[in-house]
Amino acid sequence: MKKTGPVAFGFVIGMLMLVQHFTGHPWITARYNNVLDWKQVVFGITLILGVVSLFTHHFKKIARRTAGWPYSILTLAGLLFMIVSAALFTPERGPYPWMFVHVQAPMQATMFALLAFYVASASYRAFRARNVNAALLLAAGVVVMLGRVPLGEMIGLDAVSSWILDFPNLAAKRGVMLGVGLGMAATAIKIITGIERTYLGKGA
Amino acid sequence: MSAASQPATSARRRWIDAIATVDRRLIFLVIGAGVAIPLLFPLGLPVGVSREATAYHEAIEALAPGDIVIFAFDYEPDVMAEVDPMSYATLSRIFAKGVRVVALADYAGGVGIALRILGETARESGRQYGSDYVFLGYNPDYTATMLRMGESIRQTFPTDHYGTPTGELALMREVDNYAGVDLLVSISGSALAEYWVIFAGGKFGQKVIAGNTAIQAVLIYPYFQTGQLSGFLGGLKGAAEYEQLIGRRGLGLRGMDAQSVAHLLIVCFIVLGNVGYFTARARRRGEAGGMGRGHVG
Repeated sequence: MKKTGPVAFGFVIGMLMLVQHFTGHPWITARYNNVLDWKQVVFGITLILGVVSLFTHHFKKIARRTAGWPYSILTLAGLLFMIVSAALFTPERGPYPWMFVHVQAPMQATMFALLAFYVASASYRAFRARNVNAALLLAAGVVVMLGRVPLGEMIGLDAVSSWILDFPNLAAKRGVMLGVGLGMAATAIKIITGIERTYLGKGA
Repeated sequence: MSAASQPATSARRRWIDAIATVDRRLIFLVIGAGVAIPLLFPLGLPVGVSREATAYHEAIEALAPGDIVIFAFDYEPDVMAEVDPMSYATLSRIFAKGVRVVALADYAGGVGIALRILGETARESGRQYGSDYVFLGYNPDYTATMLRMGESIRQTFPTDHYGTPTGELALMREVDNYAGVDLLVSISGSALAEYWVIFAGGKFGQKVIAGNTAIQAVLIYPYFQTGQLSGFLGGLKGAAEYEQLIGRRGLGLRGMDAQSVAHLLIVCFIVLGNVGYFTARARRRGEAGGMGRGHVG
């Protein structure tokens, strides 16, 4: 029952989601909406689990004084501050939106902006035309990079860049998408029919 | 080798070594300057408009006053430098046309961004909350949200971001699923635009346009070619193109000079790295050949 129950449940729900796509029957549509609502509830609970897990992880680091533990104090302080300020002042006013606009947003944007520097450094060190394939990739990368900015457009690289995006890129991407789609469909059928049971854990 | 040619050879080697081992701090400095200087002293490079941006523009221009648009803030602050200009330009244009907006955020971090941009653009155009635009806020699980909205937006979002029941908002009384929505705009820093095309477009026939980071734009090209995506903006360049089309000099156009110089510098570094690599390789081969001949001789 420990294995049969979840597999049977997966089969019923999986078939329901599959069948609803081909029928507009009100009862099936209502059940389909129930499943979507439950999915959102489960997702919301995973967010709470994430917060609890983050708290536990950093609390342990502080208690055991493991490497970098002062940073864990900062993390927990930030977490608690945001939760308390949202609860006391609402997320629209008070310290919560201020912290978002003046601390979180600039920090996240800064981290992402640093990529430009690392990309430049990594390109210089690692982007080598070691063989024909690497040379082709390098040439395509350079053309697309320049073709997507006004400087490249001025020397006519935009047309070459568009050709690369429209044909070789599209062909490769479409092949990958078809492969992924077929793989997903196959995996879904295996889960619905109970062939694939790894989601039940070890020994299933 | 003659004594006179030895200093020249060693000077050449020093140059090759310098090219092959540029200090990364120097690279950071050059990129930093390359981005900052054009922002401070714009070059005013002309920006061409792509067919994707033209299609995006046409989809918005086809809207009539009173039409309803779903506007999804599908990104967090990490990519806001790249896609915020799209949100500003698009919402400004939509509000200026008298089109009504149902906004939402598919990431928790997008809520703060949505509040800021919606507030600013609505104030600029004198739009009223509740009748001209609403903000539904964040709902966990974007795929379930997209699918559920096809059945009932009011049930998916029983209240708006501020806790007002959606059924009490004038705009939300007029629309409850994609059938009442004239256009869906997703400004995204991830694959969410693709999900809107699949779930809202594929299942419910919703017309979708998108603004994406440059890296994601490459991935949604197939949907544009098939017509599943009616138009899109790719990266800061896409934002600049749209600003050009609507005659608004915003953050996109201002950032184009900096991006041009940064891309050019990165290409220069790639070329430099390869020159250093090939010259060093040729030298190693030459030395190995010389050693081999010496041994045999």
